[in-house]
Amino acid sequence: MYLTVCDATKTYGNFTALDRVSIEIEKGEFVCLLGPSGCGKTTLLRLIAGLTDLDGGEISLEGSPLSDLPARKRGFGIVFQSYSLFPNMTIAENIGYGLKIRGAPNEEINARVTDLLALVKLPHLADNFPGQLSGGQQQRIALARAIAVDPRVLLLDEPLSALDAKVRAELRDEIRQVQRSLGIPTLMVTHDQEEALALADKIICMNHGVVVQAGTPEELYHRPATRFVAEFMGISNLLSAEQVERHYPDLLATRPSSESAYLACIRPEQIGVTPDEDGMSSVRSISFLGNLRRLEVDTPGGPLLVETHGANPCQEGTRVSLNIQPHACTWVIDDAAQHATSPA
Amino acid sequence: MSVADQNTRDEARGGLDADRLLTLACVGLPLIGLILFFAYPMAIVFLRSITVGESYGLGNYAEVLGSSGFWRATRHSLIMGGATTALSVLLGFVIAHGLYRCAFPGKWIIRSVIVLPLLAPSLVQALGLIFLLGRNGVVSRALGVEIEIYGFWGLLIANTLYALPQAVMIIGAALVLLDARTYEAAEVMGASPWRQFRDLTIPAARFGILNAAFVCFTVTITDFGNAAVIGGDYSVLATEIYSQVVGQRNFNMGAVVGIMLLLPTVISYTIERQAMKRQRAGQATGQVAYRPSFAPLRDLSMASLSLLICAGIVGVIGIVVYASFVKLWPYNMALSTKHYDITLAGGYSSLWMTIVISLAAAAGGTLAVFLLALGLRRLPPAVAQPIQILAAMPAAVPGMVLGLAYILTFNSTATPLYLLYGSAALIAIVNFYHYHTQGFLTVMTGFRQLPQALEEAAGSLGAGLARSARDVVAPFIAPMLVSVFFFLFMRSMVTLSAVVFLTTPDLSVAAVTIMRLDDAGLTSQAAAFSTCVMAVVCVAVLFMKVTLALMGRRTRAKGEA
Repeated sequence: MYLTVCDATKTYGNFTALDRVSIEIEKGEFVCLLGPSGCGKTTLLRLIAGLTDLDGGEISLEGSPLSDLPARKRGFGIVFQSYSLFPNMTIAENIGYGLKIRGAPNEEINARVTDLLALVKLPHLADNFPGQLSGGQQQRIALARAIAVDPRVLLLDEPLSALDAKVRAELRDEIRQVQRSLGIPTLMVTHDQEEALALADKIICMNHGVVVQAGTPEELYHRPATRFVAEFMGISNLLSAEQVERHYPDLLATRPSSESAYLACIRPEQIGVTPDEDGMSSVRSISFLGNLRRLEVDTPGGPLLVETHGANPCQEGTRVSLNIQPHACTWVIDDAAQHATSPA
Repeated sequence: MSVADQNTRDEARGGLDADRLLTLACVGLPLIGLILFFAYPMAIVFLRSITVGESYGLGNYAEVLGSSGFWRATRHSLIMGGATTALSVLLGFVIAHGLYRCAFPGKWIIRSVIVLPLLAPSLVQALGLIFLLGRNGVVSRALGVEIEIYGFWGLLIANTLYALPQAVMIIGAALVLLDARTYEAAEVMGASPWRQFRDLTIPAARFGILNAAFVCFTVTITDFGNAAVIGGDYSVLATEIYSQVVGQRNFNMGAVVGIMLLLPTVISYTIERQAMKRQRAGQATGQVAYRPSFAPLRDLSMASLSLLICAGIVGVIGIVVYASFVKLWPYNMALSTKHYDITLAGGYSSLWMTIVISLAAAAGGTLAVFLLALGLRRLPPAVAQPIQILAAMPAAVPGMVLGLAYILTFNSTATPLYLLYGSAALIAIVNFYHYHTQGFLTVMTGFRQLPQALEEAAGSLGAGLARSARDVVAPFIAPMLVSVFFFLFMRSMVTLSAVVFLTTPDLSVAAVTIMRLDDAGLTSQAAAFSTCVMAVVCVAVLFMKVTLALMGRRTRAKGEA
């Protein structure tokens, strides 16, 4: 294991920001910390960076503890949401700053800066000042600045949140490409599940200062462990055990135990819908989302969301029958009973 | 974790940490200065006020409170403070409203004129009024009436001119906070311009007005220059201290009056700080600047009122410059430079000395407040807060009281500090600590604008405290440091109240020389000397503008970063 965080705890007065959180990052891995605001993900990142002190627990890199090492001696790279370029330095000076601190000779710094500017596709901006760049450009430079020193770990604190949608998608792909080609172990904080799904090798989903579930994007999306994860990772239909028993008894086979604490989670694209004059259900409304349609269907067991691709013969009011395969259903723990959380 | 554990852990972490030592030095050195040159002298003033013969007691207070002169001076100070405050806040609101909420051309004229009184020693307003409205004044002679300018009315006008710039700046700053979106929302909801003024502008300016009122009040009751020149028989507390100390050599009584003067200024300053906090709390980010459109009735009346006030300021200060070139006021109005040939009171030596002292106060002071602010950021709040409060305290102390504290402290052979007495260094020091608060708060504001992520980014790249202070922090707040430097320089050039006690026959400063010349009846020479001081300060302002403009050009639009 490359970077390990073991039982990290952080409290502010009465508020527990992190409660014995343990995570691991392997060499070359891209890990996303995903969760709603206030879930402790940024606190965890700052603890790893050394910008905040631990109250308990241990962080170690390749087996040696980091806790007593100040941020400037950890050799990490960090990119903030707010770009945070040094406004008084040119773009080239910004990127070369870490190497300058390490006493690298000027030729080496210049060569590295040139390489990195090419890598982030902004070779012509070396002598500009940060204020003259767009947000997306500034964030690319911030990325270049962070990786200039060959960081042992790259930390990204919501690096895309301040950008508009198109730039965000571009930069997202670029971050992924750069990270893959350089193989830097990377930890990114985000509240955007789409971003996490697209980028991460592993997603760590957090809520209320604890890790709720960690796994590959596929696992988190298709096999959420709890109601919180299911709702946070996209749209889902959640049915109580009673509802399933009464209306979809086929699905009960996959239930892990007969406890009623479990809910059935069915992703809307997993439900088949066909027009059927004698069907028990009817389409209440249709949202056209470009590549897909989202139907709200009234069924005897309550409303369900269904997503279909391509041509769809249904209209509002069309009677339909639904088809749910047992394997499409995941049973999740209802953790929202204590904390009310809404899907992103 | 037990306390002992925590300590050993801290030691293990801090023992070898150069950054920690540096932080301590950053805070420690300025803190020693504050204690030695502010807290300690203030304690001495207090002790002296309760010293009766060889023991302590409230005898001095009883004596002062029993004298009719003290009560008259107190009454005068309060009335003068109140009247000046009312007038300057009213006029200040008119001008600030004109500048920031109305549309008319030529605002730069108002902006430049309004700060003129700050660039001159406060007694220049009084001199100007004497040249305009005095027995031999331009206006009095033209109208053939005799105006009694010495006393209440003269002092009121002089003080108002002196307090006005601050009122305009404070109220203006409050008005600017209200952004265009708010007005647009009100407009869309159907609010008339008058309603917008009443429901948006006035509430937005409320704390600014309150704040300005307290500042004007404090400035007025602590000012010495105007009262000394144009006050006549209208004695106020500041002149009362002077006459107790310089006239009657009665230091303990001076200390008592000083403590009495301290009370209203401390109260007013405390309330003002609270008001500032409230205002800051109401501030939002991502503002859109308000761009007023032309409304003839409002804008023309505001513009003419503002220009009228400005004409008054220009008249009062301009007449001093003009009079300094007149051969024999008012009998021979031919122009000449003979008044610039100053031989009395040490000639121009005090001007050069003042420039040296001001540069020293500005350079040392800027460095000190920068280090202090830099270090305070890295201390736990429990430690930083008391230091911050101490650093913000000097503004509550009138210059007269601080000067008195210095003479009591440093003119005593009890401590080695006596070595400083009579030196230019001590005058530079008193000037710095007199204006410590403003300098400190400006730098703190600069630090507050410095995004935390910037320092963190530097830290993650491997920069220690010294390195990130030099490469990241100092460049970022450089404009603030430049402003503080020139602020300290200009204030040191023109201040009178604190230094009036510390000058000696061998060592004088510009403002004191002007007062001496005026006392000796050489009003035209006093005007000439004032003109020289104003010229130096204007050059300094020019330097500041150029420096800031050059810095702005180098990193244009860096505010966005």
